[in-house]
Amino acid sequence: MVIPDFTHKMSAHCESGALTSLLNHAGLEISEPLVFGIASGVFFGYFHKAKAFPFPTFIVRNKPGQMRRNIEKRLGVEFAEYRFKDPALGMSRLDELISRNIPTACQVDFFYLDYVPSWERVHINVHFMIVIGKEEQQYIVSDAYFPQIMKLDERSLEKGRFAGGNMSPEGFLFHTRSVPEKIDLETAIRKGIKKACFNMLSIPMPFLGVKGIRMFARKVTEWPNFARDTEHLSHEIMKINILLEDQGTGGAGFRFMYATFLQQASSILRLPTLKDLSQELMLIGDGWREISLFAARIGKNRDLGAEKLGQLGAMIAGRADAEENFFRKLSKVVH
Amino acid sequence: MPTTPDYKLKMEIKTMILDTLGITDVPIETIEDDKPLFGGGNALTLDSVDAIEIIMAIQRIYGIRITDQHIAREVVRSIDSIALFIADNRENKAI
Repeated sequence: MVIPDFTHKMSAHCESGALTSLLNHAGLEISEPLVFGIASGVFFGYFHKAKAFPFPTFIVRNKPGQMRRNIEKRLGVEFAEYRFKDPALGMSRLDELISRNIPTACQVDFFYLDYVPSWERVHINVHFMIVIGKEEQQYIVSDAYFPQIMKLDERSLEKGRFAGGNMSPEGFLFHTRSVPEKIDLETAIRKGIKKACFNMLSIPMPFLGVKGIRMFARKVTEWPNFARDTEHLSHEIMKINILLEDQGTGGAGFRFMYATFLQQASSILRLPTLKDLSQELMLIGDGWREISLFAARIGKNRDLGAEKLGQLGAMIAGRADAEENFFRKLSKVVH
Repeated sequence: MPTTPDYKLKMEIKTMILDTLGITDVPIETIEDDKPLFGGGNALTLDSVDAIEIIMAIQRIYGIRITDQHIAREVVRSIDSIALFIADNRENKAI
């Protein structure tokens, strides 16, 4: 069986895409950029020495699950959530939910999704997709990264949902429980923007927000100290491109998606300034894309001397200045 | 109806790719329009870093910013797909 009337849509990011599809199915017409913006998805964090990461790394969005919680809080939507220790129980609960025609989002390790070509499979424990049916031993899946509905073997889904490691999914499921009849989109947008500005400008931690971008700019020159050899360093430097461009970020580390949100917010709030800021953020995003390209190029060419890493650091510092200026202006528009 | 990309546009795209990537040893006439640019099978064999360069060159030269990496992947598949994309989106500057 397949849940009737579910519309599959591709989206830039798996979590905001899954949230958007579930909300759309529940009757709330809302775009992925609006979901992302209301959920204050845009962020930056740099982790130079952290237990969870063997090598310095960074994030460009808020932590997994935070978007869902922010959407609940700001739109008044209610999601039902489930975690399981027992895989059999986790699978039978999923079967029961889809038998009741409830599209259900699953957190999975991307590596175990057998419809993903083998060369694209990597271990990412926080991938989200929606199960919309089951036919014999195969689940029918709406995965926002694919243009059409996919089929996934029962065993593969179980492995993906109960994979181990950092941020393991623990069989996590969620679905929409209720959507309020009336939603105050304008207030939700303002709150989402205010929180994003706070996160980028005012969290008193030296590695979060704009301060985190500055730390990244300073510390990237120290990356050779963490690497086993040139191959390892080049791999890590090239990962900058992957983290910014190729992990469902919508390009430029979610900056393009946030710019699209501001453009849509400009119409809803009737604030033309937001449209100007949207264009400014697109240009800031272009700068992040330049960083992606530079990192990919020096990594590919193994051209990783102090001079090149210094240049990379200077480019990143430029983004910190631009984003500080941008978020200060944005915070004044919605104060 | 999709716009049919013409010969001139495809030649422009091939020149753009060769110039952007600094490739001098591949004659332009050997690049096939419908063959994949990645993974072999064409006179040009490109990688993911080249793909970003091409995406940025499309933005610089044609003013079209591709903000969705799923679309980007499809666009840079072949000369035909790049040409079709540019022809269809010249007026719509952010995709």
